Amino acid sequence: MNRDSCWRELRQSAEALKPRHLSEFLADETRFEKLSFTHDGVLLDLSRHRFDCRTLDRLVQLAEASELRTAISDLTEGRPVNHTEQRAALHTALRTPPGQRVEVEDENVIEGVHETLNKMESLVATLHSGQWRGYNGEAIDTLVNIGVGGSDLGPLMACHALEEFKPDAAQGIEIHFVSSMDGSQLAGLLDRLNPATTLFVLSSKSFTTIDTLANAATACQWLIDASDEPRELLLKHHFIGITAKPEKASEWGIPLQNQLLFWEWTGGRYSLWSAIGFPIAVAIGMSGFRQLLAGAHSMDRHFRHADFHENLPVLLALAGVWNINLLDIHANAILPYDGRLAHLPAYLEQLEMESNGKSVRSDGSLVEQRTCPVLWGEIGPNAQHAFYQLLHQGTESVMCDFIVPIRRYAAQSAHLQEQHRLALANCLAQARVLALGDKALDDEGADAQPPWKRYRGNQPSTVILVDELTPYSLGQLIALYEHKVYTQAVIWEINPFDQWGVELGKKMATQMLDALEDPDSNEALDSATRGLLDQIRKRREPA
Amino acid sequence: MKICIWGEELAGWTAAALLAEYGNHILKAGSGLEPAQSSIRAEPGLMNRLRNGIEAGRIMPADENDPFSADIHWLAVGPGEEEQGRKIVADLAKKDTPVLVINQSNLGTGASDELQTLLDREREQQVVYLPDMLQGGQAIQQFAHPGVLLVGCEDERARVTFTALMRPFTREGTEIRLMSRKEAEFTKFAITGMLALRLGYINELASLADHVGVDIETVRDGMSTDQRVGPHYLSPGCGFGGHHFTQYIEGLAGLLSRTRGSTLLETVLEQNEFHKELPFRKLWQHYNCDLNGRRIALWGLAFKPGVATVESAPSLRITDALLAQGATLQVHDPEAQPEFRRIYGDNPQLVYCDTPYSAVGDADALLLLTSWPDYWSPNYTELHRLMNEPVIIDGRNVYDPQLLRDLGFTYYGVGRGQ
Repeated sequence: MNRDSCWRELRQSAEALKPRHLSEFLADETRFEKLSFTHDGVLLDLSRHRFDCRTLDRLVQLAEASELRTAISDLTEGRPVNHTEQRAALHTALRTPPGQRVEVEDENVIEGVHETLNKMESLVATLHSGQWRGYNGEAIDTLVNIGVGGSDLGPLMACHALEEFKPDAAQGIEIHFVSSMDGSQLAGLLDRLNPATTLFVLSSKSFTTIDTLANAATACQWLIDASDEPRELLLKHHFIGITAKPEKASEWGIPLQNQLLFWEWTGGRYSLWSAIGFPIAVAIGMSGFRQLLAGAHSMDRHFRHADFHENLPVLLALAGVWNINLLDIHANAILPYDGRLAHLPAYLEQLEMESNGKSVRSDGSLVEQRTCPVLWGEIGPNAQHAFYQLLHQGTESVMCDFIVPIRRYAAQSAHLQEQHRLALANCLAQARVLALGDKALDDEGADAQPPWKRYRGNQPSTVILVDELTPYSLGQLIALYEHKVYTQAVIWEINPFDQWGVELGKKMATQMLDALEDPDSNEALDSATRGLLDQIRKRREPA
Repeated sequence: MKICIWGEELAGWTAAALLAEYGNHILKAGSGLEPAQSSIRAEPGLMNRLRNGIEAGRIMPADENDPFSADIHWLAVGPGEEEQGRKIVADLAKKDTPVLVINQSNLGTGASDELQTLLDREREQQVVYLPDMLQGGQAIQQFAHPGVLLVGCEDERARVTFTALMRPFTREGTEIRLMSRKEAEFTKFAITGMLALRLGYINELASLADHVGVDIETVRDGMSTDQRVGPHYLSPGCGFGGHHFTQYIEGLAGLLSRTRGSTLLETVLEQNEFHKELPFRKLWQHYNCDLNGRRIALWGLAFKPGVATVESAPSLRITDALLAQGATLQVHDPEAQPEFRRIYGDNPQLVYCDTPYSAVGDADALLLLTSWPDYWSPNYTELHRLMNEPVIIDGRNVYDPQLLRDLGFTYYGVGRGQ
């Protein structure tokens, strides 16, 4: 079967299944056994999607017809899957144990990966032992990560999620994240920090990102003002540069021994496994960081070798394709039922929407169907008090991802364990009500309710269970979504590894900087922009 | 009376020496009849009194006699040796006869009451708490002629026995202040905390003095003229160490923070740790934040002069910092070198030196960390000649800044206004 015939069959299935309510599917007692899948402690429950096992077979056929198997080899073996930029996307290499070979331009990248990991390890050890000294000889006790996008979201999400895995040696080190280009995060922070004990981590793949360099310049000046020491000395003791462009970092003034390198073939939103993960390694120790990598590597091997019928990332992707392309659902809510995963929705928003928010196929033609939906999310229990109303009674069909660990607070008080039970109960209840609507009630009373108290249900959802949230299981979870994204990109025939869509805005901003100052340069602009520029210039002068 | 003395603290040895002089029969439990710690051996007047007692047959090792045959048991174990103390008292409780335990150990508030619970009041087995107020260097004088004796005692018979035992030392009109055991322990605890606060305060002032450009030693002299302040425990330096003092304050700080949410003493302890690295920070700044490949001499590794131990000593933190920065250390200590070596072992960055002068050969700086008498008046000309860079960082303010500067040294002290 080729792609077209697969799609045709799937459309036929969809026509047949669309009229059926999820409650009808769930009446099948064996549904959970048939549609839940496990790998290495991760359970993926797809039984609340509006399809049956036959549909899933057809979806797998579509994956095969899309040559996903070859595409996975291309990805993991370092072929230039990012064809618009002619380079590999080797985030899987970043978590490959030493001793293996993956070649890019005749060079075994695994060696470089472990060189960087070893250098990270030695920097982390210096920090943890209290022997990274600032300009007056005091030990560094504060890390400020300056980065934006992938250089911010990944480390921020993981540090927050894994806070309780801090080893004793890391207890004394505070970590902050600064990204916004307007300096608002940095300004508030600098008021509170001690310059003598603060280390800035500049994370920028290109080392030309204006957001990051603007913040870095402010940080550097703050240190100069506080210490009266020369810039060069401060850069040596208060800055680490993480980049794929060492020459740019050197040019900015970061000495070689303070540089941690990654590579062109590491995409920003796939970079938390690389040196960009340095703040994570500081927070949870190098052994914790290696656990994170090991968890992801376990998912990589599974993605590469498991049959598509039991391949978690592939199945998660196919469920999405079914919802998006065959059921016309264009919104995906990410709902972790664990406060530690507060930053996961933002992280996945970037991972999915920056990767698959595309409409041109690899051959340059326009796609003929929908690609990435709109993703958003929030800690589940909090979202229940915010946008669940729309999920339950709005007009939008939304697919939901419920993510929750089974055990929490094992070593803590019974009260806290009870709170987690409460979260678990809410998670299961919401998935149930979204699927069944008021049919979830046993009695017939629902029918008697006024229309505004009715729940129509039929919102599909995925539940992802892990035993516990650990560095390992977080690694698995993130890799699961990375490979889901790649699988969908392969099916949609788009390139998930470029982001040309963000370039024009950056360019336009440079032009606008001049326009803000010089009214004469505005003539070529559209009337809306001219109007706003006018207003801003007028009101900018103090009254 | 027959008295058995338990524990290796100065207070125990002092009691043994002086009680023996008045005809008591002393059994010394433990390692032998000579204190292991040099600072105790150096206690003025102690050793010849002990020798006299041994020669006269009034001080004998307990292992040759039955320690439990004594009527009075003097407990002078260190803080942290609570378990040991409990075991001794539990063994005493097995006796059928009356027993008086005089506890002179710093085990914290409530410890003596706990020991009392192990004993049987019905059989006149009693604990009296005598706070250890002896200062190193004046222990004999202070034990023999106490101005006041604070005593935690809650039993009349015990009071009578204790008073009789101490009569030779109190007949000049020493006031005996009786209070409950717990109150006496709390008093000891309060005094120690106060001393730590004074040390913390003077070190804070020393840091400020550096900023303001005044010599803290001059300021300290001035401060002590106010009778309300007095001269004691006001020596600025690179932090206090030692297992006992630190552990005792930690216990106190923990108690305050747990029960009162007070961080007062915790802050003192934190600042003390911070202060231990002061000589390192001065050196770091002197050499523009780069000590890689420098040769640094350390004089003094022990946490205070007169001891062979380096527990919680500033030398440990400074050594760690210098090793991490890639400096080579040339270290000397009259007594603590073996213990220091046991911790650090052989390391290409560490040179163990037999004499102070061999330690300074080719050195880029000398850090004085313990005020052993041996270091107070070196041959400055020789020192200057031997060193590669004549930089002295005086962590104990033993040198005269003006003299050293006149001799061509770069001098940094603690709060001396540079």
